Amino acid sequence: MTQLTQTTAGLVTDDAPLPRKQAARSGALSSRTTTQVLSIVGGLALWELLARFAVHNTAFLAPPSIVAVRFWQMLLDGTLLYNGWVSLQELIWGFILGVAVGIVVGAAMVQWKMVDDALAVWISALYAAPIVALAPVLIIWFGFGLWSKVAVVFIMVVFPMVINTQAGLESVDRRLLLVARSFCASRWKTFYTVALPSAAPFIVSGMRQSVGRGLVGVVIGELFGAKAGLGNIITTASSVFDMPTLFVAVVTLALAGIILTAILRSYELRLAAWRDVA
Amino acid sequence: MALIEFVDVGVRYQRRGGGETVALENVSFTIAPGEFICIVGPSGCGKTTLLHCLDGLHTPTSGRILIDGREITSPGHDRAMVFQSASLMPWRTVVRNVTYGLELQNVPLREAIPRAQAMIDLVGLTGFEDRHPGELSGGMQQRVNLARALVIDPEVILLDEPFASLDAQTRELMQTELLRVWDATKKTAVFITHQISEAVYLADRVVVMSARPGRVKEIVPVPIARPRPASARRDPRMFEIEAVVGALIDGAHAEVVTA
Repeated sequence: MTQLTQTTAGLVTDDAPLPRKQAARSGALSSRTTTQVLSIVGGLALWELLARFAVHNTAFLAPPSIVAVRFWQMLLDGTLLYNGWVSLQELIWGFILGVAVGIVVGAAMVQWKMVDDALAVWISALYAAPIVALAPVLIIWFGFGLWSKVAVVFIMVVFPMVINTQAGLESVDRRLLLVARSFCASRWKTFYTVALPSAAPFIVSGMRQSVGRGLVGVVIGELFGAKAGLGNIITTASSVFDMPTLFVAVVTLALAGIILTAILRSYELRLAAWRDVA
Repeated sequence: MALIEFVDVGVRYQRRGGGETVALENVSFTIAPGEFICIVGPSGCGKTTLLHCLDGLHTPTSGRILIDGREITSPGHDRAMVFQSASLMPWRTVVRNVTYGLELQNVPLREAIPRAQAMIDLVGLTGFEDRHPGELSGGMQQRVNLARALVIDPEVILLDEPFASLDAQTRELMQTELLRVWDATKKTAVFITHQISEAVYLADRVVVMSARPGRVKEIVPVPIARPRPASARRDPRMFEIEAVVGALIDGAHAEVVTA
């Protein structure tokens, strides 16, 4: 037995594993970051100069310094947090429902040919159509409260989720399906041990693409009728030409989009890590 | 007493646009418990189809395959397949790839993981439990593949050209390793390959197949003592048997050409 173990140990060194992937070179990374920071600072400076010396009218274009001050005021008096929270709730519910329904419908389309035949035309047509135009209708159906905006976010999110789930499930390695069958996996177990993990990077990628669309849904929904929310701030501020407040809402939405996309992006990269080395 | 019986097995495919392809015809032979069988033949002789039928992934059009006297109609826990390369789940770690078959049998992880660990140790991958398949070399991936099949404790282990994509050196090393593991586990093994020296080195008997339609041309015994260390490859009797098998396969090729 001892001899056997020794042989084995010797053999493993001969047949060595591949080295673990190196992280991105830090030098290249820092030079990229510098360029990005300079670009942002430069853009803000240009905006400030234009607003102060070319436009002269804060009802037309507010400089970033004034927007920043207004941002701070709105943060302190709670306006931003309250309205941001209203919008965030709309986004979260619409997003969760859209993602859940999208995955279930996408999976059903792959599992049953008939579902695919029945729905494929609708999905691709509605995905391509500017479906956000339905927002006023949804406001009429669901009222001025939370659920009308949830509905708008939902229709923005659900179609890309269906399409990504479907693409992910169809990309499954056939050899792995054969492995599952050979090990006596039931249809359901084959689905959640092979098909779903294979599709996971596609699904998370769909979620990342959908977050931006969902935010657009929130704003559009609130523009057509809302009692609160960041979109509502934009509507009321623009009606009185309160440009700094309007920009505060826009900037907050942009930041939310950037942060949420970045979170999903990092999750996506982690999931896809095995893809690169495989 | 035979463990596996192929009784007049035939497989036909309907070709698109009419006509049919006969992949296998009149395949009859038996395998004894604990035996190591290699099936060789020119490409297109239906050897993979035959192995898939034995695993239950494919149903023969005619004839029957019996294991312990029962007819095979679907995959079962008494058989496990070692697939060709790249059949590991890239998102699972080594240990969780090995526990896969047990998880499907609803064995709880606290029981499955120690069993997987024992097989990982057996195939010589101790220390690599938490790596992902993408971080392993081809030879190591096939060790995982072997451990995954062994862990469900099947009666028969089916190997479908498992070393075909490895370089020559790693391949010979893996053959010796496979014999060591097979000796330790006492499983019946059915191994498919197109490499003659591999078949002769591993097998108790080599089943030589002819192509189109795939038939058993001859079964060549390899009466060389076990255990067979790497040095057994240079045994002159090995070369003699290889020559016999080689001639049979050349004959099989000639048939294809003249047919």
